[in-house]
Amino acid sequence: MPREGSPWRGLGTVILKELSDHLTSARMRVLEWLVVLTALAALYGAIQSVRDTTAQDPFLFLRLFTTAHQPLPSFVAFLSFLVPLMAIGLGFDAVNGEHSRRTLSRILSQPIYRDALLFGKFIAALATLAISLICLWLLVIGLGLFLLGVPPGGEEMLRSLVFLGVTIVYAGVWLALAMLFSTVFRSAATAALVSLGVWLFLTIIWPPLAQGIAQALFAHSDEATMLIGGQVLARLSPSTLFGEVVLAILHPATRSLGPVYLDQLQGAVMGAPLPFGESLLLAWPQIVGMIAAAILLFVAGYVAFQRQEVRA
Amino acid sequence: MSPTSRLFASFIAVALLTAPAFADDTASKDVKGIYLLTDFPAVTVQPGTTSTISLQLKNYAHAPERMTLSVDGVPQGWTATLLGGGQPVEAAMPSTDGSVSIDLRLDIPKTAQIGAKTLTVKAQSGDTSVALPLTVTLAKDLPAKLSLQPQLPELRGSSHSSFEYTMTVKNDSGKKLLVSLAAQAPANFDTSFTEAYGTQEINAIPVDAGKSKDVKLKVTPPDGVDAGNYTVTAKVAGGGASATTAVKLDVTGEPKLSLSGREGLLSARATAGQEASVPVIVTNNGTAPAENVKLSGNAPSGWKVKFQPDTIARIAPNQHQQVQALLTPPAKAIAGDYVTTLDAAAHGNTGTANFRVTVTTSTMWGIVGAGIIGAALLIMVGAVARFGRR
Repeated sequence: MPREGSPWRGLGTVILKELSDHLTSARMRVLEWLVVLTALAALYGAIQSVRDTTAQDPFLFLRLFTTAHQPLPSFVAFLSFLVPLMAIGLGFDAVNGEHSRRTLSRILSQPIYRDALLFGKFIAALATLAISLICLWLLVIGLGLFLLGVPPGGEEMLRSLVFLGVTIVYAGVWLALAMLFSTVFRSAATAALVSLGVWLFLTIIWPPLAQGIAQALFAHSDEATMLIGGQVLARLSPSTLFGEVVLAILHPATRSLGPVYLDQLQGAVMGAPLPFGESLLLAWPQIVGMIAAAILLFVAGYVAFQRQEVRA
Repeated sequence: MSPTSRLFASFIAVALLTAPAFADDTASKDVKGIYLLTDFPAVTVQPGTTSTISLQLKNYAHAPERMTLSVDGVPQGWTATLLGGGQPVEAAMPSTDGSVSIDLRLDIPKTAQIGAKTLTVKAQSGDTSVALPLTVTLAKDLPAKLSLQPQLPELRGSSHSSFEYTMTVKNDSGKKLLVSLAAQAPANFDTSFTEAYGTQEINAIPVDAGKSKDVKLKVTPPDGVDAGNYTVTAKVAGGGASATTAVKLDVTGEPKLSLSGREGLLSARATAGQEASVPVIVTNNGTAPAENVKLSGNAPSGWKVKFQPDTIARIAPNQHQQVQALLTPPAKAIAGDYVTTLDAAAHGNTGTANFRVTVTTSTMWGIVGAGIIGAALLIMVGAVARFGRR
């Protein structure tokens, strides 16, 4: 039966309900504590390192995000690992949970369209992730002010805000993927396992595998083609894209994310930071890729959900 | 006195009038007897000093004999001592065809009157007696006298060159002098003295009596001094005497070029693949006009550097001219800072400036990215419209 009227009707109700469910659920609390504790450990290590070594750095605050203090990885490395986990944790039973609780037909008998239900679930989960990431970001800035005693500069704030936005987008990609699987698989356990499997594959196995594939594909080409081919393949993984964006935004001296010919570096002033706009332009394709991937994955989940039989 | 001794005495007089070498060489064959000799039988000394006169007692073909020595005619207050081997002696005994060296030491009081005195040194034995009259003239010392002569008194050069004058210091006085060296130059001119063939700077140089020495005066004008003639006066002084001489510098002017951006800015912005126009100001800080100033640039490979115009006909001293530098980074340039060197050259004088060029990349791909996101949203809207259902 075709929809009549706005697909947004009832969206606000769904968002508020889902948001309150998420924020009070034990699952969310466990995930938040996991993220906060590990991030704090990484941040503390970074502050120790920053105090010892890089007092003269013009981008001292950005070092808080990227400095690793052995044996702990850096704050950014923690986030790139834990943000997908949080997103999958929130999204893997979005639709099939309603099925198994047999509440879906009851909700849809209310004046709420399927569109609004799925949109609402996605927006509420993304808002939950955004709230915890913003809290985490404020925690970093606050602790940095408190322990370093140096106020951050305007460009540092801009760069870290862009980093915050990119992290939310990155969470959105994995959330959309998890919701797609929660629609496709009727069992929540299957959806969770498949989501986690895809995440582990794309994050850990795919980058080295992409290099291997490129070497096999471009065996008779020159070195540059092989490098570029490997990079293009590796960029199919959102983790690679996120890593590259972080490199461009949080390391202002980064000039290029791809291979560079030596003659392009002639006369270049090494180590000079790029202006903010240039860094953003450098990372822009990666950011676009992540946003587009999030939208397309969501659309796939949406189409699957719209075509599904709900009266089971 | 016996006839032979008289003959000897007259012979001594002859020998003293000619030369001791004559007595040594020729007299040793025909001359026999004992002689008392000295190189200079008439000397000039100053009151209040001690002077020593060398004497020799020679024996030609005569049996060794003990000769008693004495000095007659010593004026009041003077002390005359005969020394042999460093000790006072009263007699000497020259062997046959041998000689004995004797010194006559005269201690002359300060109060001694100016004038000539004659002392007679005598050597006597039983039948032989020789006498040697010595004339001692008391006189004041010779006054010290110095002269200073430059070899090339006028030099020409630019304000960057150093002017080196070789000068001869001559000591025309009777004793060795320590001559101090000084030079008086216009304000901020740097002067120094060195040895003629050395690099060590010196303030004073010892010059032996009657000798001369070469010294070098090095004058360095201050940077950017006006063109013109300057005079430096060199002065030597020592022992109460002094001498001066004047040397001249003819400093010619020269242009001095410098480059900068407008208001001293040395940075510029350029977009990859597009020409950027950077205003460049060429200034002549020198003392002469710069003619035919050529502008050139040294940029990383792949860059194009042009100037509008690329030659300036003339820049007067303390004037400046503005040109436009047109920089084109290659289309594939990576964003970031690059160093480009711009030069302005005129007659060997070059002004250089390092410009820091910030290359920005085209924002076209940013718009393409926004288009991709828009396409994804369109797909979503299409899906909502196509698949939306109750």
